Amino acid sequence: MRRILRSPTGLIGSILLAIVTVAALLGPWIAPYDPQAFDVTARLQGPSLTHLLGTDQYGRDLMSRILNGAPTTILFGVFATALGVGVGSVIGVIAGVAGGRTDGIIMRILDGMLAMPELLFTLLIVTFLGGGSTQAMLAVAVTFAPGMARIARSSVLSVRTREYVLAATARGESRAWIVGREVLPNALGPIIVESTIRVSFAIMIGATLGFLGLGAQPPSTEWGLMVAEARQFMFRNPWCVIAPGAVIAITAMGFNLFGDALRDAFDPKRSR
Amino acid sequence: MRPILEVHKYSMDYLTDEGRVQALREVSLSIAKGETHALVGESGSGKSTLAWSIMRYLAPNAEETGGAILVSGEDMIGKSAAQIRKMRGNRIAMVFQDPSTSLNPTMRMGEQLVEVLMRHRGLNRKAAWAEGKAGLARTGIAKPAEMMLRFPHEASGGEKQRVGIATAFACDPELIIFDEPTTALDILTANQILDLFVTLRNETGVAALYISHDLGLVSRIAHTVSVIHRGRIVEQGTVDQVFRAPAHDYTRGLMAAVPKPLERIAVPGPTTTTSLIQLEGVTVRYGDPGWLTRMLNPQAIGHTGAESVTLDVRPGELLGIVGESGSGKSTIAKVASGLNAFTGTIHFDGRAFTSRDALDHAYRRDVQIVFQHPDSSLNPRQTIGTILSRPLKLYGIVPADQVQARVRELLEMVLLPADFATRYPHQLSGGQKQRVAIARAFAAEPKLVICDEVTAALDVSVQAAVARLLVDLQARSGAACLFITHDLNLIRQLAHRIAVMQRGRLVDLFDVADADGPGRHPYTRALLDAVPVLESPAP
Repeated sequence: MRRILRSPTGLIGSILLAIVTVAALLGPWIAPYDPQAFDVTARLQGPSLTHLLGTDQYGRDLMSRILNGAPTTILFGVFATALGVGVGSVIGVIAGVAGGRTDGIIMRILDGMLAMPELLFTLLIVTFLGGGSTQAMLAVAVTFAPGMARIARSSVLSVRTREYVLAATARGESRAWIVGREVLPNALGPIIVESTIRVSFAIMIGATLGFLGLGAQPPSTEWGLMVAEARQFMFRNPWCVIAPGAVIAITAMGFNLFGDALRDAFDPKRSR
Repeated sequence: MRPILEVHKYSMDYLTDEGRVQALREVSLSIAKGETHALVGESGSGKSTLAWSIMRYLAPNAEETGGAILVSGEDMIGKSAAQIRKMRGNRIAMVFQDPSTSLNPTMRMGEQLVEVLMRHRGLNRKAAWAEGKAGLARTGIAKPAEMMLRFPHEASGGEKQRVGIATAFACDPELIIFDEPTTALDILTANQILDLFVTLRNETGVAALYISHDLGLVSRIAHTVSVIHRGRIVEQGTVDQVFRAPAHDYTRGLMAAVPKPLERIAVPGPTTTTSLIQLEGVTVRYGDPGWLTRMLNPQAIGHTGAESVTLDVRPGELLGIVGESGSGKSTIAKVASGLNAFTGTIHFDGRAFTSRDALDHAYRRDVQIVFQHPDSSLNPRQTIGTILSRPLKLYGIVPADQVQARVRELLEMVLLPADFATRYPHQLSGGQKQRVAIARAFAAEPKLVICDEVTAALDVSVQAAVARLLVDLQARSGAACLFITHDLNLIRQLAHRIAVMQRGRLVDLFDVADADGPGRHPYTRALLDAVPVLESPAP
């Protein structure tokens, strides 16, 4: 952790991530107004002292709506990634450990899935499952699984030929012990790093789905949906697009920078 | 006459996360025209750092704290980057350790050689090509024109190193730095490269700084020598002076650690000729093509790792297996430890096994293996205590409540403090890690320990200690040992019998006492003759 904070990327990433986490945990309670309260007299206003980030087309306070939407949006990203990484890693580890024909079959199927652009694939799944937050989350998880499987597999493969694994094999250890105690702990680094970076993708895909009307439904305060709803009023008050858009960007950047720093910290070659 | 290279009280530090590390301390040396000066030291002693300082290629965290480097009287430290670029390759050249990584794999070797000539001697392409061809011919390559057109992967290690040497000599430099140019090569090839070096040096009269950790080799080619230890030169003089009468303790320790084939440190030989383990007609094939590949390309064939190898190890014996890289000696280690599939039979302790899957728990307990690289043979996420207790628990060597006590005993057995049990592998040095790996092997109380190049990755002084430890443990436990190495001097000290492998086949198997006797296979003879032996200093 000290090493992460010492690099500029890591420091900025950690600060952004801290802000985002606080918003996600406490957002609804520190919001100054009710996110759904209409105020007809103060519609589409720019930032002012009463409304720090301005108001939307119904006069709802943007700041409150963003804070209120933080848990949904961020938890969406975290859960979707966790699910995708979990499933993907298990598949990847199985392929990497089994090797041979099992590996070949699994990886060829995953290659087929990887050949499809991520967003298109998500859209395809959502059209099957129908709109809604849970469905969108599942869709993102399914999209992530093949990529994560590939990373988990390559990580396992690189560890599997190390001499301490050979030593365990020569000792006659059981396969479960070799995988669980010798291979996995050492193969976990790249998987953790990759999943941190992927959270930001998940948030962005979630926002995109919300924007397209396939994710969260109104009157949810999910950030992507906020951008979509405000689209037609963009020229009268750009703030109602800029504000949620910027928070999405900041959150994604926070996870991205943190992930990068984490990767550097895990890489023994970079530590002198 | 002014020396070509003069280094005066040169000091350098590295700024690291842990603070300032002194890399070089008041290093002074000078090399005259035609002289070969050897710089000898262990890993981390600063010998490569000095080479890079002379080439003016410093790490970003390096800080020079004093001294001067002069080449033909010109101050190198004050030179601009452009001036340095003009000198590199032209007046100072370098030959690197590993020819397989020092050549660009995407460029024909001729182009890499010609590039230097065009840049520094202003030749046009055609003239440079002709010049390059002549240069290659000088290095003893039979068909230089053909070699120029080849890519690095189409040439052998020795040929690549010849190209590297031809490149270094291309512009008739005043000084050439050789950074362990033969370490990555096989003994026989290395020998040819050394002969080439001596010939070219005598022809051109170049001054050479020869960096090496191999004292035997240095004694053969150098005129003068500096011994470097922790960034300081502890001893300097002519090869005769330093090697006949080493003055500094460190040099003396280093000399004592070099394996000398006639100073045996082996346990008493086995009394019986019955065998503990016998490999009978063991054959290993790698990469046999699948049915689809065979259909598409009927010529596709696999690669043989070992071809019907038959050998045996007697109880309490130390059998050495020597051979060049790729000769199949490590394949044999992997077969015997149950890591490689094989055909043939392994007889062990009255039982016969005909496949890898037949090797059972009892066999695996009785046969333990120690690997070459101490850095990768211990799981970095487990403490030394966990690592050592694993075989104890797995084979039920001691009751659960005595495991901790036994781990402490094991650590003491390999001369490590008992509190190492709570440490992680990265907190230990290479030699200490190798001791732990050896302790892990002996923890199972095996009948046979396979040592696969266990000393190859260690420094000379550590090597000797590890070898002694191994023999000591063997004497105490009565275990037999299969010791795989490429170091003939070392194996002649340790082994009772030596097996020689070449291209997957066992070509010779003899008693150590008969090493110099008649009837040795010509390949064995060539290997034995190729190793430089360091004479003991006069008492």
